[in-house]
Amino acid sequence: MKDGVVIEVEGLSRRFGHFLAVDKVSFDVKRGEIFGYLGANGAGKSTTIRMLCGLLKPSEGRAAVNGVDVAHDPEGVKRSIGYMSQKFSLYMDLTVTENLEFFGGAYGLSRRQLAVRTDEVLRAVDMIEQRDTRTGDLPGGMRQRVALASAMIHDPPILFLDEPTAGVDPEARRTFWQLIRTLAGQGTTIFVTTHYMDEAEYCHRIGLMVDGRLVALDAPEVLKRTHVPGRICRVEGSGASRALPVLGGLPGVLEAHPFGAGLHVRFDETRTGMAALQAALHDKGLDGFALTPIAPTLEDVFLAVVEAK
Amino acid sequence: MSGFITRLWALAKKEVLHMARDPQVILLALGMPLLLVVLFGYAVSFDVEDVPLAVVDQDHSPASRDFAARMDESDAFRIRFRLESEAEAEALFRADKVKAALVIPEGYARSLTRGEPTELQLLMDGADGTTARVAVGYASQMGQLETLRRVQDGLTMSMPLEPRVRTWFNPTMDSAVFVVPGLVAIILAVLSVLLAALTVAREWERGSMEQLFATPVDRLAVVLGKVLPYVALGILQFMLVLAAGAWLFDVPLRGRFVTVLLAVILFLTCSIGQGLLISMVTRNQQVATQVGAVSSILPALLLSGFLFPVENMPLILQVISRIVPARYLISVLRAVLLQGRSITDLGGPFLSLVLLAIALITLTTLKFRRRLD
Repeated sequence: MKDGVVIEVEGLSRRFGHFLAVDKVSFDVKRGEIFGYLGANGAGKSTTIRMLCGLLKPSEGRAAVNGVDVAHDPEGVKRSIGYMSQKFSLYMDLTVTENLEFFGGAYGLSRRQLAVRTDEVLRAVDMIEQRDTRTGDLPGGMRQRVALASAMIHDPPILFLDEPTAGVDPEARRTFWQLIRTLAGQGTTIFVTTHYMDEAEYCHRIGLMVDGRLVALDAPEVLKRTHVPGRICRVEGSGASRALPVLGGLPGVLEAHPFGAGLHVRFDETRTGMAALQAALHDKGLDGFALTPIAPTLEDVFLAVVEAK
Repeated sequence: MSGFITRLWALAKKEVLHMARDPQVILLALGMPLLLVVLFGYAVSFDVEDVPLAVVDQDHSPASRDFAARMDESDAFRIRFRLESEAEAEALFRADKVKAALVIPEGYARSLTRGEPTELQLLMDGADGTTARVAVGYASQMGQLETLRRVQDGLTMSMPLEPRVRTWFNPTMDSAVFVVPGLVAIILAVLSVLLAALTVAREWERGSMEQLFATPVDRLAVVLGKVLPYVALGILQFMLVLAAGAWLFDVPLRGRFVTVLLAVILFLTCSIGQGLLISMVTRNQQVATQVGAVSSILPALLLSGFLFPVENMPLILQVISRIVPARYLISVLRAVLLQGRSITDLGGPFLSLVLLAIALITLTTLKFRRRLD
């Protein structure tokens, strides 16, 4: 095991019949890192996570989690990880505590360990008050925190979270991500999949999955610099659709596309500038547009990467 | 090992909580057996009573009237019509007014007094085969008795052989006493297979099975964690059915309760194993329910000796019936409840139940893949 690396993946592939769900993926994750796995539905995120959790056998390649090979010793892997599956499948007819006790028991915790850990994880996810509530009676955001609590009941050094925030309101998502960062700060390694681009910003590093392949992998800032060079400005005003062909044809403009009610225009700042764009519109009789510089988002990265393919 | 016990305990406890909190399970598990006992106990009856009879007395003699009266006095037949010709009887059969017709030919009395052989004819509606068979049995018995009586009267000598039939264990030949043990097997088979089949399929559908497989539980713990609570529920059902049978139909318990309890536990283990296996293969509640219902009801009803004696089946079905646990449970129940036999007499069925239980649990455990592929 390389220094500080807790997840090692090399040429990992998974085939379902003729369908190649994951295609020769390679990456490393370091201890205490929040590693985001980003991609559309069906891009192979869940398949990768299931292979890393010992739930699916890889077709090719190898992966080691905590130094344990996932193909040869899936049970060994399971002992040292926590896994929160896509549907965060808790038992709705059981109370919060009963759910935690069940999963604790499944991990083989003794009665005394269980009592201590139940208190600890409930405190960590701020659910002490709801401990005797039926899980089915809780709102989605709280259920998701209970699911996280049950995935970490045995104090695993690595957590795998598959779309943990799917179907949860924005406020609850923010709370959840604060929790994730606190855990990572305490040394827990977090491998998380999501298709929310804004959430991916919280990750230390991001792997971008497109059609089973890992097409980009780096820190969010680096990804933005490499895949979305130049500057981006937002163009707002009525008749934005008429402005699109004008701006798209200008020298120095790298890309222009509709975004919401307006446009996003990316340009090489050594060749043109916002004033030049404004002037070009004015020349065509298009006035009354507001141009504001914006920072590129991971969504821009994602679009750029997908288009490049 | 202590890890195994911890996990088994956690799994079993969770299952009990599910049961206790699901009113449907309670209704199904405890209400259905009672309903079935009452329905089957009263409806499934092999007793033949008051079969409507037409008498075609062409002899018009005291002897012929005497024989017809004897038929009427028996519990089996009740004279509804007195006719002159067979043709009239046929019309009544077609109109479903009678199920049987007794034809006493002209010359019946004369032949009797001369000591010549004579004939009586019984016409039976064979559409209801069971009733017909039993009724014909009664009628021929009465014919024989009449013959014996005549022989005895005429020769005024004692009979060299006089049959005195006594039926043991079920002296009144009451079919409820015979049906309830079979019913126990059917109720336990159907409910255990269905409930077990639903539980695993439900966990697959809700995704909690995937979550469970991400933990280092061993599959034997998962299987036993499902089996044990449902065995407990099955024992409860069994006692309920047994109590209802004793109260409503005077079903006796002549042997030891532990003997039947042991057989029931082994049987439940088989049925739950079967249900879990179905559930694991189908991974879908709807399909699991259908497969579970068919694969539990049909063998328990047809191949277990409940309705038809196994010895009378074609050889191939006899061979198949050897892997039907209900067959062994029914024979143990009848032997212990009605005959008061002990476990030492029942080595065969017990051994078969043990082997089937081990085979099913092993198969289920092996089939329980903890991987998703």
